[in-house]
Amino acid sequence: MNLGGGTSALKGAAAPLNPREPIDWIGYLFVAFFAAPFLIFNVGPVFFGAYVAFTEWSIIGSPRWVGIQNFDDAVSDEWVWVAFRNIFFYAIIIVPGVTVLGLFFALFVNRSYPLAGLARTLFFAPNVVSATVIGLVWVWMLDTQFGLVNNLISTVGIPKIPWLTSTDWALVGVSIASIWWDFGLAFVLILAALQDIPRDLTEAATVDGAGPLNRLRFVILPHLRPVLSMVITLQLISTLRIFSQVYVMTNGGPAGSSSSPIHYIYTVAIVRNLYGYASALAISLFVVILCVTIVQRFVIRETL
Amino acid sequence: MHRWFERRGMRAGDVAVWIIGMIVALLWAAPFFWMVSTSFKFPADVMTETIEWIPRRFTFDNYIKIFDFPIVRWTINSLVQAIVSTSICVICGAMAGFALAQLRFPGRATIFLIFLASIMIPVEVSVIPMLLAFIKIGWASTYQALILPTIANVFSVYIFRQFFLNFPKELVEAARMDGAGAFRLFFLVALPLARAPMIAAAVIVFTLNWNNFLWPLLVVFDESMKTMPVGIARFAPVVGTHTQLEGYSVAMAGVTVLSIPSLLLFFFLQRYFIQGISHGSIKQ
Repeated sequence: MNLGGGTSALKGAAAPLNPREPIDWIGYLFVAFFAAPFLIFNVGPVFFGAYVAFTEWSIIGSPRWVGIQNFDDAVSDEWVWVAFRNIFFYAIIIVPGVTVLGLFFALFVNRSYPLAGLARTLFFAPNVVSATVIGLVWVWMLDTQFGLVNNLISTVGIPKIPWLTSTDWALVGVSIASIWWDFGLAFVLILAALQDIPRDLTEAATVDGAGPLNRLRFVILPHLRPVLSMVITLQLISTLRIFSQVYVMTNGGPAGSSSSPIHYIYTVAIVRNLYGYASALAISLFVVILCVTIVQRFVIRETL
Repeated sequence: MHRWFERRGMRAGDVAVWIIGMIVALLWAAPFFWMVSTSFKFPADVMTETIEWIPRRFTFDNYIKIFDFPIVRWTINSLVQAIVSTSICVICGAMAGFALAQLRFPGRATIFLIFLASIMIPVEVSVIPMLLAFIKIGWASTYQALILPTIANVFSVYIFRQFFLNFPKELVEAARMDGAGAFRLFFLVALPLARAPMIAAAVIVFTLNWNNFLWPLLVVFDESMKTMPVGIARFAPVVGTHTQLEGYSVAMAGVTVLSIPSLLLFFFLQRYFIQGISHGSIKQ
């Protein structure tokens, strides 16, 4: 499950310290149980990685300081560019796909028709299974000869598409599976925001003669701005980090056409045993993710 | 029928939208149905030109064939990893969340901010150097390697802090009046009342652990130490080989087994999943 767990929330800060009340020194001990593994395993490796990125290091042997050599290599590495170009296309397909479908299905479930609860369950269910399930099920669904998808589209006369075996389609095939997997989070977040819209507001708009489209445009969408912005940010970050479904479904192929930066980093570290280079690539990806997130937040604030 | 819709305030347009929406919802679940259906088919019945939703002939053979792999061992590994990691994460998260919300000490706001800010760092950045470190100290393919890096999930702290911020002040004050120390306050007063965030944190963190892919894939080199998702990923039929012919039925049996725990947890504790997720990330 890819919850992202992202949040910009700082709601309800704890009450300020009252100087006359005694300090609970034991609070530090309470926090320490969590902070210790946090510092060692969440924060530590980032700094260690920043060091490794400037070395040449493999499983056997000791590190050799090489300065910015790894970053230099990255710029002239053709496969790095392929991987980054690919996540650009992944993002273009998956982020709007997830956001738009999430919005539509949330609007539908929010109408509280009969069986709306069942629909909600079905829509969210793919989000709780692992990448292996998603990957293998969709490899079978998208099988060129006998897959369910090609079977269905050929009944309406569309020729069979080599979803995962051609360089033109592999990225699209993986994206379809990713949308099915990731969609639940966007859906649940948008649905929660919809349920926070006061009923009076939409009813007043109806009384004033606003049709469904105008209600959506002038009442509902303005209320959804914050949540849509958050959904887009979360989905964008998680798409830039796409790996597991790529690994299971196509292993980056054919000919690198569906690879992603994390997939390439995996190959560099595990197959080629270049840990310094892999760390440099990971840090570059982190910087790219940060930049994209900042730019995208800015763009959304200006346009949405 | 007409009346039935009218009583629910549904007009013709609503009925059309409802029918289309429910069809889409069922289609959305079709891949799961197809997965289970394929897993009960004979290999010869899998690759067919016509869609066979319900198998003509049922077989359990595929569920027996998955035992050609060390699937029992993988299941044990996955359970040990997920249960140990989740328990520690929930307890430590509850303590930290409680302290950050209810205990008074300097720097608690800053500490919480640091926890939150760390969410911006994708795990993928730290995973390669961490792998190198684990290999160097000889911990590759061990339980501690599977468990330790997954303990500090900030989501757990967040959800407990949110809960304890709204915890009744009177209860805390009364306990303090009685001379209860922080530990007694936490274990005897606060924790027993924190059932909802506890279940939410537990099911969500457990599912994340059960499904975790990248780290176990990297750190385990030994077939017998693999977790379920990593082991079963290898069931993918290889194009152009013999496995492609009978592979899908066995592969679908494997992923059906793999998806059962998380789907069951979700179906029965749906409320906690959905509330936990929307509270965990939405409330600004």
